[in-house]
Amino acid sequence: MNDDREAILSRVRGALAPLRERAALPTYDSEVAVMRGLIAGRDLVELFCERARRVGAVALSDPAALVARLRAESRFRGYCDPVLWPRLAPYFAGGDFQVEVTFDRTRVDDYGFGITRAAAAIAESGTIVLNDTTTSTRLAALAPWVHVAVVARDAIFSDISQAVAALGHDRNVVWCTGPSKTADVEGILIEGVHGPGTQIALVVDWESSGL
Amino acid sequence: MRFQPIDQFAKNLPPATRASVYQSTKTTHEKRTKLLFDQFAEPDRLREIAGEIKQHAIENLDTYLPQVEAKLKANGAHVHWASTAESACATVLQIMRARGATKMVKAKTMVSEEIELAHYLEKHGMEALETDLGEFIIQIDHDHPSHIVRPIIHKNRREIAQSFEREGLGSYNDDPATITQRARHFLRHKYLAADVGLTGANFVSAESGRIVLVTNEGNSRFCLAATKCHIALIGIEKIVPRDRDLALLLNLLGRSGTAQDLTVYTEFIGGPKLPAQPDGPEEMHVIFVDNGRTEVLASDCREILRCIRCGACLNVCPVYRQASGHAYRSVYPGPVGAVLSPLLAGEKFPQLADLPKASSLCGACHEVCPVNIPIPDLLLRLRARAKDENVPSPGTPPMGAWALLASQPTAWRAALAGGKLIDYLPTKLIPVPALQAWAAKRELPAWRGGEFRKWLKNRPR
Amino acid sequence: MLNSERKPITGKRVQLMATCLCDAFYDDVAAATVEVLEHLGVEVVFPEGQTCCGQPAFNGGDWAASRKVVRHTVRTFAGEEPVVVPSGSCAAMMFHGAVLEFEKERDVSDVEALGRRTWELADFIVNGLGVKTWSGRYDATVAFHRSCHSRGTQSGEAALTLLAAIAGVKVVEFGEGEQCCGFGGTFSVSFPGISTAMGALKLDHVRAARPDVFVSGDMSCMMHMGGLAAKEGKPIKTLHLAQVLRDALKSKAAP
Ligand code: SF4
Repeated sequence: MNDDREAILSRVRGALAPLRERAALPTYDSEVAVMRGLIAGRDLVELFCERARRVGAVALSDPAALVARLRAESRFRGYCDPVLWPRLAPYFAGGDFQVEVTFDRTRVDDYGFGITRAAAAIAESGTIVLNDTTTSTRLAALAPWVHVAVVARDAIFSDISQAVAALGHDRNVVWCTGPSKTADVEGILIEGVHGPGTQIALVVDWESSGL
Repeated sequence: MRFQPIDQFAKNLPPATRASVYQSTKTTHEKRTKLLFDQFAEPDRLREIAGEIKQHAIENLDTYLPQVEAKLKANGAHVHWASTAESACATVLQIMRARGATKMVKAKTMVSEEIELAHYLEKHGMEALETDLGEFIIQIDHDHPSHIVRPIIHKNRREIAQSFEREGLGSYNDDPATITQRARHFLRHKYLAADVGLTGANFVSAESGRIVLVTNEGNSRFCLAATKCHIALIGIEKIVPRDRDLALLLNLLGRSGTAQDLTVYTEFIGGPKLPAQPDGPEEMHVIFVDNGRTEVLASDCREILRCIRCGACLNVCPVYRQASGHAYRSVYPGPVGAVLSPLLAGEKFPQLADLPKASSLCGACHEVCPVNIPIPDLLLRLRARAKDENVPSPGTPPMGAWALLASQPTAWRAALAGGKLIDYLPTKLIPVPALQAWAAKRELPAWRGGEFRKWLKNRPR
Repeated sequence: MLNSERKPITGKRVQLMATCLCDAFYDDVAAATVEVLEHLGVEVVFPEGQTCCGQPAFNGGDWAASRKVVRHTVRTFAGEEPVVVPSGSCAAMMFHGAVLEFEKERDVSDVEALGRRTWELADFIVNGLGVKTWSGRYDATVAFHRSCHSRGTQSGEAALTLLAAIAGVKVVEFGEGEQCCGFGGTFSVSFPGISTAMGALKLDHVRAARPDVFVSGDMSCMMHMGGLAAKEGKPIKTLHLAQVLRDALKSKAAP
C-alpha cells in the first residue's frame, strides 16, 4: 500500500530527526567472530568432517561407503542429480537400487534418498552450502529421509565469515548444518522433522569446476 | 492485599509447568554460556559490536529502508508497506486473492503472531497452516506461544499426544519421535498442496537485499521449496547494513538462542527462484511492517529495536522462569516482552504497564543479550513513564513521604530513632502493605536505627 | 562503572556512605567498614546529613521523588574525596541509576561527578588502593553471593580476591551463582511470590554447598535471604564482606 509507504517513511524520519547524532557503524575485523583457534593449522577437509559429525551429520569420502550405508538402511529408491549420476552409477551397480534423475514432486514419499551437488561447505561449522545454480532440485535435498550432498574437496571454506563473503550472486543460498531437528517437545532432541533425518556430506576429490 | 498480575499468575501456574520451563531454560542458558566462552576469547566484545551494528541500522532506517526497497525490487521482489496490523493482513489477503490462492503454509514468524494473521486469513476463507512443530501444536490447540523460540515450552508430551489423537493424527502416543514423525507426514503433503509460503525474516541486508531466515526444522525451506509464491512479513527493524555483518550476527544468534554454533537451516534469499531451478517461488513479496515500531523508534527505548529474537533473555530471566510466558499477556514475553509489548501497545500502554515492573532489575538479560540491549535501563524508563501517566501499580509503595524524609536529615534521624517501634508491634498490626508483603515469608532483622552513628561518636579513638 | 573511567585515588581520606540499610538495621556492617578502612590507613569521614541513595523511588518509577533524594545526596557528599559505600547496589545507583534519571536535568554533571568518585568497598580496597593481601585469620567455609548490581563492575572479582587472601577462608562455589536472589528493592514487596521463590532457589543452592557463612557485599540481598531462611526455620549465617575482613584482622573464629 503506497500510502503506508509514505506514512512509515515519514514517521521514521520524524522519529530520527531529534537525534543529535546517529550511532556510527562500527569498524571491526570479521576475524572477531572466527574460531581461529579451532581452524588454525588444520586440514580443511578433516576439520569439516569433524565439525559435520559434531552437528549430527555423516561425513564420508568414498562413494562405496555411501552405497554400503544406503544398502544397510534398506534405502534402495532415490534421486540423483543427473550431472553426478554418470560418475556415481558404477557404485550403485548390482540391480538392487532404483535411482531416478528427475524428481517427481507428486511422489515425494517414494524417495528414500536424494543426492545433490553442494556448491561449497564450511569447515568451522560443518555446514553444507547449496544454491539454486548448483543444486538441481530444492525438494530432493529436503524431502527424502537421507540427503547426500556431494562436496568437492577444493570447495571448502574455512569459516562462516569467509562463506558470507563468498555468497556471490546466486538468488538462493541455503546452509545446512546437520540434519533437520527440533527440541520443541520437552526439550528432547529429535532429528528429521521436515527435512532429512540423515544429512550426509560426501567429500570427493573431483574438481568443483567439474561438478 | 492486591498483587501484581504477573506475581498472581506465577502463583497459579501448575508446578509441573514451572518445573519444565525452569529446566529447559536453565539448560539452554548454561549451554549457551559454555559455548560462547569456550569458543571465543571475548564474547562480550562480540555482543557489543553486534549491538552497535544494530543501533546504527535502526538510527539510519531513513536511509536503509529506501535502499533495501530498491535492492529488493532489483532482485525481482515486490515490496509492500503496512502501517498497521490490519493493513499487513489485508496486503497478504490481497496478494493471495490476486493469485487465486487459497492455501498458505507458514513458517514461524513473530510478526504474524503480532498481527494475528492466521485468524484473519481463516476468517476470510483462506487456509493458513503453521508448519513449525511447536506452532502447529499451538494452532491445533488454539493456544498461544509462551516463548519466542520454544513456543510450547509450557506443554508436556502427554498434552501434545492427546491433541494429536483428538485431531485424528493417530492413536495416543506420547513418544516425542512418534509425535514428530506424524507431524512430518501430515505436513509435507500440506506444503506440496499449498499455493503460498509465508515466512518472516531474521535479517535483511541493505547492501544486497538478501533476506536471511533461520530454522532448525527446515520448515521455512520446505515452504520455499514447495510453493510458487513467497510472502515475507518483515518488521522494519530487521535491517542490517551489510552482508558481512550477517556473519557476526548469525554466529551470535544460534549460540544465544539454542546453544548451537549455527542454526541448521540458514537461507539467504535474494529474490524468486532461478529459472533453471524446478522448485520454489516464482513470485516474491516483501511486506515491511510498522505496527508501532516507528513509535518505539521515536521513544527513549529505541534500543529494543535491536532485538534479534533469540530468546536468551527469557532463558536466563528468573522471573520468566517462575511465571512462564503467558503471564505477560502479549506476543513477546520475558524481558524483551516487558519492554517491547507495552511500547507496541501504543495507547493501550496502561494495560501492559505492569510488565516492566516484573523484574528485580538483576541485569542478567543485559548480560546475555547478543545485541547488548540495556534492558534494565529500558524497564526503568517505562516504569517512570507509567508513573508519569499515573498508571496505578498494585503493591508498589508510595514514595512521596519517603522522599521528603530522605531529603531532610533531621527528620531522617528522628525516623531512625522512632523505627524501633516495629520491634515491639506484631507486623500484622502495622497497616503498611509493603511490610506485610515482606513479613509473610521473611523475618525482619532487629531495628538498629541510629546505632551506627552512636558508635561512631562514642568509640574510643 | 569500570575503574578506568574513574577518578584515580590520590589522598587517603574518604567519605563513607553508610547506606540507609546499615543506618536502620546493620550498624555492625557500617562499623566494620570503618574499621577495615582505618586498618588500611584511610581516614574515614562520615557526612552526618546522609540518608539514602535514592534507589527505592528510582526503581519504583517515581523519578521526581528519587531525584529529590539524589540532589540531597549530592549536596551531602560535596568535596573531592572518594565516596566509599559497603554496597554494590547503592554504588551502582550513584554511578549508573542516578545518571539515567538525571539525563535531561540541568544538574546532571554534578550527579555524574559524584558517580565517578563513588566506589563499592571491595572494589575500592583492591582496585582503588591496590590491596590484595589480608592479615589475620578467619577459619570458615564461605559461600560468596555476587550481587546483581555488581554485574559489569570489578566488585565481584575484588571481593573474591580478598576472601581468597584471608588465611583460613575456604570459598565454595554453588549452583547458578549468576542468578538473582529475588530481592530487587520494591520488587520484593510488589512481587512477593516470585521474589521469595527466587530466594528459596538461591538458598537451596547455597545450602547444598554447606558453607559456615554466607557472605555478600550487599546487605539488601542478605536481609532478604537471611529473613527467608529464618522464617523457614532453617536460619543461615549471613555476613557482609566487611565483617569478615574485620573479624579476620582480629583473628576471630567464625561464628
Ligand atoms: S532482547 Fe536480546 S536477548 Fe532478548 S530476545 Fe532480543 S536479542 Fe535476544
